[in-house]
Amino acid sequence: MATKTELGIAVLVLIGIIVSGSTLVLTLDLAGRVQRIEETVAPPPLTVIGPWSGAERDAFLPVLEAFTEETDIEVDYRIYRAEDLSPLLPAQFAARTAPGDVIFMWGWFIAEMGPKGHALDVTDLIDEADFTTGALDPVTVGDTIYGGAYTGKIKPGFWYRKSFFNDHGLTPPTTWAGFTALLEDIKDIDGIVNPIVSGDEVGWPLSDVTEHFIATYGGPQMHKDLTAGTVAWNSSQVKEDVFEDRLVPLLEAGYFSEPTEWTTAVDLWWAGDYGLYFMGSWITGMVDDPNDLGVFPLPGAEGFVFAADYFFISAYTEYPDEAKQLFEFLASAEGQEVQVGEGGHIATSLDVSLDAYPAVDKSVAEILVGKEVLLDLDDTIGGDFQEEFWTQLKLLWVSPGKLDDVLEALDAKAP
Amino acid sequence: MTRRNKITSLKNFPLFFSPAIFLIVFFVAFPVLQTVYLSFFSPTDEFVGLDNYFDVLSQKEVLNIEGFPKWPPLGALIHNLIWILIHLPLTMFSGLILAVILKDVKGSSIVKSAVFLGMVTPLIVGGIILRFTFERGVGVVNAFFNVLGFEQLARTWTAYPETALFALIFGSAWLWTGFSMIIYSAGLATIPKEYYEAAKIDGTSPFRTFFRITFPLLKPMTITVVTMTILWELKIFDIVFVATRGGPGWASNVLAYQMWLLAFRDLNFNSAAAVATFLTFLTLFVTVGMIRYMVRR
Repeated sequence: MATKTELGIAVLVLIGIIVSGSTLVLTLDLAGRVQRIEETVAPPPLTVIGPWSGAERDAFLPVLEAFTEETDIEVDYRIYRAEDLSPLLPAQFAARTAPGDVIFMWGWFIAEMGPKGHALDVTDLIDEADFTTGALDPVTVGDTIYGGAYTGKIKPGFWYRKSFFNDHGLTPPTTWAGFTALLEDIKDIDGIVNPIVSGDEVGWPLSDVTEHFIATYGGPQMHKDLTAGTVAWNSSQVKEDVFEDRLVPLLEAGYFSEPTEWTTAVDLWWAGDYGLYFMGSWITGMVDDPNDLGVFPLPGAEGFVFAADYFFISAYTEYPDEAKQLFEFLASAEGQEVQVGEGGHIATSLDVSLDAYPAVDKSVAEILVGKEVLLDLDDTIGGDFQEEFWTQLKLLWVSPGKLDDVLEALDAKAP
Repeated sequence: MTRRNKITSLKNFPLFFSPAIFLIVFFVAFPVLQTVYLSFFSPTDEFVGLDNYFDVLSQKEVLNIEGFPKWPPLGALIHNLIWILIHLPLTMFSGLILAVILKDVKGSSIVKSAVFLGMVTPLIVGGIILRFTFERGVGVVNAFFNVLGFEQLARTWTAYPETALFALIFGSAWLWTGFSMIIYSAGLATIPKEYYEAAKIDGTSPFRTFFRITFPLLKPMTITVVTMTILWELKIFDIVFVATRGGPGWASNVLAYQMWLLAFRDLNFNSAAAVATFLTFLTLFVTVGMIRYMVRR
């Protein structure tokens, strides 16, 4: 039997719970009312998800600030790489939600999710004629466009330090023989580990350099055919023109280093352990002195791979009108001019003038003039082929004798 | 307890169990059953029976029969078995040796804490550390072999198909050794000192004492360590994901990573569910076997 004291404590506890609960409910209700009042005054904040962190994030935020200035719509930026989003988004989409309103993601992924109803149809918001040729192809399914092309990065060729070349009397090559002679000269320099450092990450540094070989020695059409799946990887044309005659002999001769973590590779190359580094145009933002940078493509290159950053509007956004405004701004010349002005990016919008670029990027943008612009092969195909491409190239880099196995594996996963 | 109290407590039984049952049903049982269900259907929702299982097991990435004897890769399933064959004895005996050596040493808790750090290190972080540990130019292992003059072993282990899997296995030993060391340390504390005193009086050598007294009496701990370690090795994912992504050329692929690839790169959730179910049955096989063995003892 409970005593009077115990009953008193129980009643007090009960009163305490009721009072606390009521206070909590009232507070939440009040907060909700305040929020609703605020929402009627200020436009809702949008959430943008993109891959850029650190210095790259700092270069992207001015674009969002320019948008806010123009529209009064606040934008919250959150960082997620495409690799991290790929396991997250399908599950979120299945629950009819998304972590952001406007999301930067692989083009193939947008094309996969758009027709399933997870990305808004933006065909009316964007005009293909305003962009570099084929830029919107990866996000277009039939006649419907599900995403936009933001700025991108060009993979122009092999980067070198001008001071390193001057110190050792080296000059950029203009022929294949000149290129191999250059590699031999660099190899003979004291302290050089390998003439070219190979970046390692999930696999894209090696796929970038391989695509450059395909576009140069197979030609832009072969690059397009491989992307479309209309030519086999183990066809004699691809095998001989690109791999057996060009890339594999360089690997066998030890001109390329073994894959090295790609940011560590930047430091080692800059410190003089290696002479050349094949990398995209973003490298201009990763070195101490961009003015000391020089770049040359493989001799005879007629096509260059340009990897645009793609973005889409989630079908589950609560603010579709505001998200569409942001979408249009990011795709516009106005938005992209702000981004390219920060350095390291090349616009997809044709209306962005060369004057908008910093000097070092301007020289990169000029490389594209008169050349064919190609879509990034593995980013366009995506899916399990991309992982296969990356892992097989890592294998080829250290075991060039396994070329047949590598090409067979690629062919099995090709579109 | 009186009969009346017993009846009252039995009446409360469902009440107290219901929150836990509710959580288990919705957050464990339902997803598990849903995964098993998915594994019997095609992406277009047609019933396909065991086809997904046959498809998955016939993939080279999972079981590469042609890889024998010119390995690697041998397939994720075989790679998981190699993990067990090397990593299990390595971590188990390292932990046992450390536990025995540190048993009566003053200040051993500091050393044990240091060894146990691996257990509390997130595997993603462990994977990154592992990657750099075996990287040419910056790795400790590479520097060690460089000093010894073994240049072939001073290269980046994770970059080569012949060494990538071993880099993962050896490099992850420190992450798990702390577990066996702690379990064995706890086990050693339960062995009565009289056994050792009697052995000493009989003039038994320390070596014999270890194999005749210590190791047999640690059998329950050994079973726990073996079971938990095999489960850890079967579900290994994070380290592979960060350090090698199963490469180069799938030379270090494992089942859990293959499941991730199928689900989130191929977007084939049905095949991924088949791998997940297969993996679950493998772990169940190990766990049930060990539990039955323990119960029999």
